[in-house]
Amino acid sequence: MIARAMKLWGRDKNAERSRAVVMPRGRPGQRPAAPPKAVVLPQGDPWLLGAAFILLVLGLVMVSSASLNIAERQYGHPFYYVVRQLVFVIAGVIAALLVMRTRLVHWEKAGGTLLLAGMVLLALVLVPGIGKVINGSQRWLPLGLFNLQASEPVKLFVVVYMAGYLVRHGAEVRSSVVGFLKPILLLVLIGLLLLLEPDLGATVVMFATALGMLFLGGARLWPFAVLLGLVAVAGAGLIYSSPYRMARLTGFLDPWADPFDTGFQLTQALIAFGRGEWFGVGLGASVQKLFYLPEAHTDFLFAVLAEELGLLGSLAVIGLFALIVARAYVIGRTAEKGGHRFAAYLAYGLGLWIGLQAVINIGVNMGMLPTKGLTLPLMSYGGSSIVVMCVAVALLLRIAHETRAPDSGFRAASPGLRLAEGKPR
Amino acid sequence: MRMDAPLTQPLRIVLVLGALGALALSLAWRALDLQVLDKEFLQNQGDARHLRELAIPANRGMITDRNGEPLAVSTPVDSVWANPRELLAARAQWPALARLLNIDAKGLERHLLGRLDREFVYLKRAVNPELAQQVTALAVPGVSLQREYRRYYPAGEVVSHVIGFTNVDDIGQEGLELAYEEWLRGRPGAKRVIKDRLGRMVESVEGVTEPVPGKDLALSIDRRLQYLAYRELKAAIQANGARSGSLVMLDIATGEVLAMVNQPSFNPNNRVKLRGDFFRNRAVTDVFEPGSTIKPFTAAAALESGKFRPTTMIDTESGLFKVGRHTVRDVHKYGVIDVTTVIQKSSNVGATKMALAIEPQQLWSMFSRVGFGAATGSRFPGEMPGALSSYKRWGEIERATLSYGYGLSVTPLQLAHAYTVLADHGRFKPVSFSRVTQPPRSEQVVKAEVADQILKMMETVTGEGGTGMAAGVPGYRVAGKTGTVHKSQAGGYADNRYLALFAGVAPVSRPRLAMVVMIDEPKSGEYYGGLVAAPVFGKVMAGALRLLDVAPDDVQSLRTQLVEAGVGKQNKGGAAGVMAQVVSSTSHTRQSNETKSQPKSLGKGVL
Repeated sequence: MIARAMKLWGRDKNAERSRAVVMPRGRPGQRPAAPPKAVVLPQGDPWLLGAAFILLVLGLVMVSSASLNIAERQYGHPFYYVVRQLVFVIAGVIAALLVMRTRLVHWEKAGGTLLLAGMVLLALVLVPGIGKVINGSQRWLPLGLFNLQASEPVKLFVVVYMAGYLVRHGAEVRSSVVGFLKPILLLVLIGLLLLLEPDLGATVVMFATALGMLFLGGARLWPFAVLLGLVAVAGAGLIYSSPYRMARLTGFLDPWADPFDTGFQLTQALIAFGRGEWFGVGLGASVQKLFYLPEAHTDFLFAVLAEELGLLGSLAVIGLFALIVARAYVIGRTAEKGGHRFAAYLAYGLGLWIGLQAVINIGVNMGMLPTKGLTLPLMSYGGSSIVVMCVAVALLLRIAHETRAPDSGFRAASPGLRLAEGKPR
Repeated sequence: MRMDAPLTQPLRIVLVLGALGALALSLAWRALDLQVLDKEFLQNQGDARHLRELAIPANRGMITDRNGEPLAVSTPVDSVWANPRELLAARAQWPALARLLNIDAKGLERHLLGRLDREFVYLKRAVNPELAQQVTALAVPGVSLQREYRRYYPAGEVVSHVIGFTNVDDIGQEGLELAYEEWLRGRPGAKRVIKDRLGRMVESVEGVTEPVPGKDLALSIDRRLQYLAYRELKAAIQANGARSGSLVMLDIATGEVLAMVNQPSFNPNNRVKLRGDFFRNRAVTDVFEPGSTIKPFTAAAALESGKFRPTTMIDTESGLFKVGRHTVRDVHKYGVIDVTTVIQKSSNVGATKMALAIEPQQLWSMFSRVGFGAATGSRFPGEMPGALSSYKRWGEIERATLSYGYGLSVTPLQLAHAYTVLADHGRFKPVSFSRVTQPPRSEQVVKAEVADQILKMMETVTGEGGTGMAAGVPGYRVAGKTGTVHKSQAGGYADNRYLALFAGVAPVSRPRLAMVVMIDEPKSGEYYGGLVAAPVFGKVMAGALRLLDVAPDDVQSLRTQLVEAGVGKQNKGGAAGVMAQVVSSTSHTRQSNETKSQPKSLGKGVL
């Protein structure tokens, strides 16, 4: 697979080069014989890129602030998490650059393979001795340098697969229940694997995103109603069947009832919000991160941000995520209008995914939803999440690049892009 | 075909985006709610978790002697404490910690498990600085240091009974530390700090109350005299194999306690293996029957009645005198002697005859007026008032035995205090353990004339032929009275257990110091007050008069002695000029002379 990817990049590099050569056509003042640049950033979406970049940097800053004390205590080295997060961010950026130079057609073609690979990962995680257990959940594959959280790439692969499925079987989805149910059954299988870890958060995000994509893909409405009813029943069943989930749920409904046990984490998070007020206690000045708030640098990073940067910081982060989602839909709509179905569904799906995961994470932080092991996209500590989210943003940028409206002047110039869009199904 | 597929319905996109937008808005509203509207509740909850009122210990007042020499000082130390839950989690580091603190690891676990509901448990109080540093270096989770004050007693066991001590929380437990608790104790300050969840201070916030240190206390004790008394008493107790002993020295003019020591003593800086009775200040808390030391007061009552004068002759008969079924005995047969000789020779028969000749009320009144049967008002914790029964119940036998000191009980402090009354022309002043700056109000309780006459009589005791020659101090006139008391036991008096006593004052011409020496159960053969207690009195009094620069009032005797010793011829200047030198150079010879002559006076015995 890697070899194939290398081959793809190599081919793509040629495409880039040829595009770089033609670039001066957009700038009449330049000499046509300008040497090709080593890396050329595709002309994507500056709003999206800017928002993602700010969140990524802000996340790194907040992870530093939140993790210094805990790292000092756990490892005797305050920069333990900071250094790692920095490495993850760099890896994410590199991955993003590679993705931005990969034509979407390869993703479209690889959709099924990727989903299969994701399922293999999920199965591997569950194999005793291979999957690594942290905090009672078996979610990680130790890869030497870092632990891969299998559910992160799986979520991406599901979105890619669903986009491809909607392109391939759009008519069927729109006209029959079978077309609607086929991907659902596949997702149920993946969901079961995720629940075995257990990773309820990832399951919920994956299903919600896939259903949203089916909805946008034109699926009929009544199966949704039935499915939502079934999901509600299944969800309730899952919650009641497991004391662990029950405790999380009741802890969420009234955290102050038992602030030192089931409500401990949430009450500590809520206190962080209350302490933040309008403008925060100042960067680095959080008290809640001083061992009061568990997982301050991972799932509860937003609470620390709210304490240190105040309502201003919270709203800014919410706004930036909203901007990313909005841009994803603008990009998707543009692609759709340009006839790029796969790119459009992919953009919708990625936007939905990023938006949902951010909403759930922030909602959990603020006690609106039961505690889930979900990261805040682009911000929370964790290599798998950071890299995968960078890839997702890069995909959106690539879509924006490839599906640029005909008047942008680029489309016609780039043979690679023309190839992508002109490929017959 | 793909190209034929309809575009996504705008309505569906709007619905999805609308749903996401609504979620974002609800998040924003919730953030506003938490961070602005509900912040007070949340901040209070936070404060309840992070804000801690931290006590700043206050320095306890220093106790000094009358010259400002420190006797009890508080020094900052560190105490090691732990958060039980945190420490229990760090089991791997227990052995090192237990070894460092010299505690048992299993006991530590029990200690912690029993206190899981607390966040603060002491592991070891008041450790020395090096150990504190080692504990810090060990960095065991949940273990921290707390600054506290610990009391140190530079004079150690020399003043321990008087000063007493504080407990580990710096609260007075015994002695003057307890009596002056309110005065010495500081008011701890407080500061509000933010602590992290491990209990470590993160920052200091408002609301700092400065600690108010306790006030210093200057005692009436003179450390030099105290050392002297301690040394001599301890030596005497060891030499005589005695069970215990006490010595009290009072300033006659002010009623101040200048020295007060007991044996056995204890080191207040290390009280680990001590029983409670070591801590008792026997000079104040233990009573005994004063025996012959009471006779000057019997004589005073007799003189006061008008029926006796110092020269009034009393027939002590053959040394045996029947009172009812009880026989009063003298050690020797003295025949017809005057009142002064009754005191000098300590005749029980003479004392009995005086007591029986006057009204019981007169005897009781005299005893009562000089302070027997009532606490001295020193405020010393645990002070005993002694016992003096009402004269209304006295029969002849009671009056007889009381006259020579049985049937009532006193403390050494009371006895010394009573002697200050005789020495100060019959004036009664309160006893004080703190330094007196103004002359205390005194009360005339005995006629000055009577008191002066008694003093003169008592001077004969330390003179040639007296029972207490060993109490004499060269160059000074010393008045006193010996006492050798049969200790009472169940069913009567013991034949072989005695108290050796000497009570006296000096110098007689201008009395300055009153002292009582009590030695309980001397076992090395000698047990007479004149032999066991009087030498201690003499040595301590000699040193004290010298240390206090009291002018000698018996230069004549010194001259005589110097001439006898063959040094007088070289002494061309005034005797006083060389006095100090002379006293120190002669005291040795004189004392050894005394010891030789002692059996003679003892032969005349006292009881």
